[in-house]
Amino acid sequence: MSGEQTYLALADFLIPAHGKMPKFSDVCSYADATTALDFRDDLKEGFVRAVAVDAAGGAEPALEKLNREDGPAFSAVTTITIAAYYMNPRVRELIGYPGQENVQYDSKAVQPYLTDGTLTKVIARGRKYRPTPGL
Amino acid sequence: MSVAPKSRPSRDEEVDVVIVGAGPSGSVAALHLARAGVSVVVLEQGEWPDYNDYTGARPEHELVSTKLWHPNPNVRDNPNDYPVDTSTTDINPLMFAGVGGSATLYGAQWMHFLPSDFRVRSMDGVADDWPFTYEDLLPYFLEVEREVGVSGLAGDPAFPPRPAYPFPALPIGSVGQRGALGMERMGWHWWPGSNAIPSEKFGELNACVRRGVCLTGCPEGAKSTTDRSHWPLAIKAGARLVVRARVKEVETNDQGLATGVVYIDANGRERRQRAKIVILCANGVGTPRLLLMSGGAKHPDGLANSSGLVGRRLMMHPFASVLASYEDPLDSWRGPFGQQVYSHEFYETDERRGFVRGSKWNCMPSGGPVGVSGAIGSKVYVAEEGRFQDFWGGNLHDNVARRFGHSLIWGIVGEDLPEENNQVVLSKDLTDSDGLPAPQIVYKVNENSNRLLKFNIDRCLESVRAAGAIETLVSVPVRESGWHLIGTTVMGDDPKRSVVDQWGACHDVPNLYILDASTFPTSGATNPTATIMAVALRNTRRMIAERRNQKVA
Ligand SMILES: Cc1cc2nc3c(=O)[nH]c(=O)nc-3n(C[C@H](O)[C@H](O)[C@H](O)COP(=O)(O)OP(=O)(O)OC[C@H]3O[C@@H](n4cnc5c(N)ncnc54)[C@H](O)[C@@H]3O)c2cc1C
Ligand code: SF4
Repeated sequence: MSGEQTYLALADFLIPAHGKMPKFSDVCSYADATTALDFRDDLKEGFVRAVAVDAAGGAEPALEKLNREDGPAFSAVTTITIAAYYMNPRVRELIGYPGQENVQYDSKAVQPYLTDGTLTKVIARGRKYRPTPGL
Repeated sequence: MSVAPKSRPSRDEEVDVVIVGAGPSGSVAALHLARAGVSVVVLEQGEWPDYNDYTGARPEHELVSTKLWHPNPNVRDNPNDYPVDTSTTDINPLMFAGVGGSATLYGAQWMHFLPSDFRVRSMDGVADDWPFTYEDLLPYFLEVEREVGVSGLAGDPAFPPRPAYPFPALPIGSVGQRGALGMERMGWHWWPGSNAIPSEKFGELNACVRRGVCLTGCPEGAKSTTDRSHWPLAIKAGARLVVRARVKEVETNDQGLATGVVYIDANGRERRQRAKIVILCANGVGTPRLLLMSGGAKHPDGLANSSGLVGRRLMMHPFASVLASYEDPLDSWRGPFGQQVYSHEFYETDERRGFVRGSKWNCMPSGGPVGVSGAIGSKVYVAEEGRFQDFWGGNLHDNVARRFGHSLIWGIVGEDLPEENNQVVLSKDLTDSDGLPAPQIVYKVNENSNRLLKFNIDRCLESVRAAGAIETLVSVPVRESGWHLIGTTVMGDDPKRSVVDQWGACHDVPNLYILDASTFPTSGATNPTATIMAVALRNTRRMIAERRNQKVA
């Protein structure tokens, strides 16, 4: 298996198709993973070791071995995979995530808790702090 | 930023005041001293922030921020920070080096300490009272709040009466509403969050647009940090700021008075800044570290340490979190990521609970899909144990579907009581990028804190379930949660039992001051920055008023 094939096998085990959600390789490529890796130089060495693992016996035992024997490699491959997946526009659309968006609001608008009586109840429950006069 | 820092003072120039650290405390001191006509130089080991580096608005945010903007300097691995030896602590101290200090990464939750926080010994028979009261500090709280641009709603019955905040409270969003619903159903206290985030444009600060990435640097320039709130004004008033200047020692003369500091500049050269007064604002870890590195052969246990208390009594507010998921959507990636609502229901002592002192809760959004999956990263919100398969495969999709956009987090800050064995010492083998010894943290979460956190988690679970939670995840104590660094050069009247007096002047070195939270005798249970800035302002004012009587070298 090439490094790319190994990677996609691991990634599809980590993120399989499930309900409406696609598996990793349905929406992301190896190139997407390496693009993500460019944001995290610190993960590069671990990632290279992870995709060099022998996955001929299946992705799950290969990942188990990495998790057991090479924590940094396991951490690198899982971090890159989940980040690349949830950066994908199709995946974001499916889970309803517009990203950390900018939301306009009117700072002067009267907040509902001021008019629907909820804060009045908090106030009615009385003082919570202990005063310290003379101490 | 539109302000350009002025050049460093010429060689051998003696200034009135040199300040170490350009975080909230150092910035307040610099602004007010400069305005009073005092010549001030601030030395800061970090850089000016570059707002283009804040990734919050970009798709790669969750990937980049878990390294570049991680609050633990050991993970960030940036040469401007010093590393911390954490081999002997239950909790990792968190901080950031730069103009704006650790607040670059803070949640901007803006809370005053309460009256009882200043009278812990008198009221609860433990720890120590402060030399001054809540009422003494209130005018400074309010003044600083106007400088910072705080938004909030006055009238909270958990605080003594106070005037309106400078800006209206930020919207509490669906997350805050759901958090409040649980508290309401339990009949418990809650209040809309007060945050150091103006809801309208204010000076160099833009109005918050609820991007929700406050903890990794606000790309909008809306979260109030002193690079925007204080430094433009301080520089205009004549303060000088030297960045990438790491102070290695406070120097003293034969009379035991401070004469200035030695620092290493950006090019690795050693320089000396002479000054009549030295002020340390390097935080509860950096300040004792610097004192322990200073003093030379005359003071082998560190400068200003005749009490033996430098570095001791470290308090870091053991922290727990409860993530709760709900069926209905809460848009829980939206900010502010400080506090949308908070609660002081369990703030004050009730000994029937089996512990003294109390807690503050803050309700915040749970963030993006990668974070809530619990599959990678610091696992702040999930249990450490478990097989990797629990977080991956179909479980990953199920976890994200249940939590993403549907969950909130209650953070529980517990008061930490001072203990002399919880301390900052110098590491024997770890050094920073200039070869200076790193601080080592020796810290154990004490029994009072363990009981306090357990009680509060149980109550919090009741509250979130009352509001219909379908899943809850508890994390306690969170290892990556030492964001409040307090107590390591305690203030007091008795030089045998304290390091500084109530004005921050070292008993042993009267022209050496400490104006950060190192001086706090106790830690309260609220986020400390409001109190840090208020105390820094109070003590700076006094320094200005008394400058003619100040003993100098
Ligand atoms: C992730 C996170 C979230 C937080 N959230 C909140 C919150 O919501 N609300 C709240 O009230 N507080 C919060 N805090 C705490 C808040 O950031 C601190 O209380 C505040 O920044 C302390 O201000 P300071 O000026 O005393 O210290 P700092 O802000 O730590 O500044 C100290 C400065 O000194 C510099 N320095 C240290 N040693 C040297 C040296 N030898 N030479 C030169 N420079 C040096 C450092 O580089 C740093 O810039 C949070 C902190 C973190 C890390
Ligand atoms: S919520 Fe407001 S303060 Fe926080 S990052 Fe977004 S814009 Fe900045």
